Amino acid sequence: MAEGDNEQLVEKFYAPLYRFGLSLSRKEADACDLVQQTFCTWAAKGHQLRDKSKVKTWLFTTLYRDFLAKKRHDARFVETENEADFVEPLHIAPSVVESIDAAIVQKALHLLDERYRAPVTLFYMQQHSYREIAEILAVPIGTVMSRISRGKAELRTALSDTTALEARKIVRIEGGQAHG
Amino acid sequence: MDNREAYSILSLHRPEEPALDEGRLQEALRKVEADPELAQWWKAERELDAIIAAKLTSTQLPADLKSRLLSPAPMRTRVVRSSWSRAVLAAAASIVVLGVIFSSWRGPFQTAVSLADYREEMVSFIKVPPNLELQSSDLARLKTFLEKADAPAQFALPKNLQAYEPVGCRVLRFRRHDVSLVCFKIGGDRLAHLFVADAKSVPTKGSASAPVFAAENDWMTATWTENGQSYLLAVRGDRAAAERFLGDS
Repeated sequence: MAEGDNEQLVEKFYAPLYRFGLSLSRKEADACDLVQQTFCTWAAKGHQLRDKSKVKTWLFTTLYRDFLAKKRHDARFVETENEADFVEPLHIAPSVVESIDAAIVQKALHLLDERYRAPVTLFYMQQHSYREIAEILAVPIGTVMSRISRGKAELRTALSDTTALEARKIVRIEGGQAHG
Repeated sequence: MDNREAYSILSLHRPEEPALDEGRLQEALRKVEADPELAQWWKAERELDAIIAAKLTSTQLPADLKSRLLSPAPMRTRVVRSSWSRAVLAAAASIVVLGVIFSSWRGPFQTAVSLADYREEMVSFIKVPPNLELQSSDLARLKTFLEKADAPAQFALPKNLQAYEPVGCRVLRFRRHDVSLVCFKIGGDRLAHLFVADAKSVPTKGSASAPVFAAENDWMTATWTENGQSYLLAVRGDRAAAERFLGDS
C-alpha cells in the first residue's frame, strides 16, 4: 500500500481507534501504544487484506486483539460466558444528563465489566454495525447484542455514580471543607 | 410481548440497520404507539444514547498522536515476534496449561519468566518512540509522578547517565508488576531507556558493579541489581554504546 494511502488511513481512523483503545486500556499512553501498534501491523500485513472495504473492521479487530494479547500476557484473563437477560436501564436524572461530559463517559466506561466495555464503546462510537462489532470482538452477534444491552444498563449506573463523585469533588474544591 | 421484551428490542434498535427480527421489532413499535409510558422511556433512552455517543466522540486526542503516526518510523517499524520466539511462547503456553492442571496438588502455580522474556518485552515497548505519561526534564518531578503511581521511584541513576537530561517517564506492567520507564535524551533524536522494577518481581541478573549485557535485535541492554531494585538500560547500538552510560551510581 502506498505511503499516501497510509496517511489517509491514519487521518480517517486514528481518532476512533484511540477512543476505542482508551476505553479498553484506561490509560492514554497505553491507548497511544495500541493505535501505534495497529498501524505498524497494518504497514506490515495490510497488503494481505484482499477486501479493502474491510479496512475499518480490520483495524479495530487488530487493536482489540493486541489489547487482549497484552492483557493476557500481563495477567491471566478469563473470558467467561455469563450472559444475563435484559436488564431494564436505570432512570437517569436530568441533572445527571446535563453534567455528562467526555471525561465522565470515559470514566464510566472504565467502570464497566471487561466483557461489556468493548461492545458498548463500539456501539456508542456509531461507526460499526452489530455484525461488524461481532466480527471485531469475534463473538456471535446474539452475544454482542446481549452484552450491549446489559452493558448499557451498567453504563447508566456507572454514569450516575461517576457524576455524583465528580460533583462531590467540585463541592470539596469550592467549599474547601466538604466531606468527600 | 411484554414491556420487558419491548425494552430489550427498542434499546438496541438502530433505524439505519436492519433488525435481526423485523417481526418482533414491528410488534415492539406497535406497543410504543399504544403505551405512552413506554414511548416516553424510549424517547429518553434515545436522547441519552445520543448524548453519550456525542460525548464519547468528543474525547480529546493527544496533541502529538497524529504526527507521531505519520512520522516515518512507526509505519516502518515492525513490532512482531520472530517465529522462533513464537514457538518458544507456544511451548511456554503449553507448560502454563500443564502447570494449571497440576496446581491442584502442587499449590498456587507461578509462571516462570526468564530474563530474556523481560528483556524482549521491555525492548518491544521502545522499538517505536514510547508514549510517555509525563514529559519533563526534571528528574525529581518524574520520580514524584512515579511515586504517586505506586511505581518504583526510589532509584539511583548510573553515574554516567546522570549527565543526560530526562525527557519523560511512564509506568509499564510486567507480569502484574509495575516497571518504571525513564527516557533520556542522548543526542539528536536518540534516547536511552532505563527500566526500574522491584528486584523480586523481575528476573534481572548482574550487580551494580558487573552489569550483564545482551543484544535484543539492534538494541543493547545492560541489566543489574542494586539495593533491591532491578535495572535494565536499553540503547541502540553495541555494547560500547551501552557501557558509556554506566558507572557506579
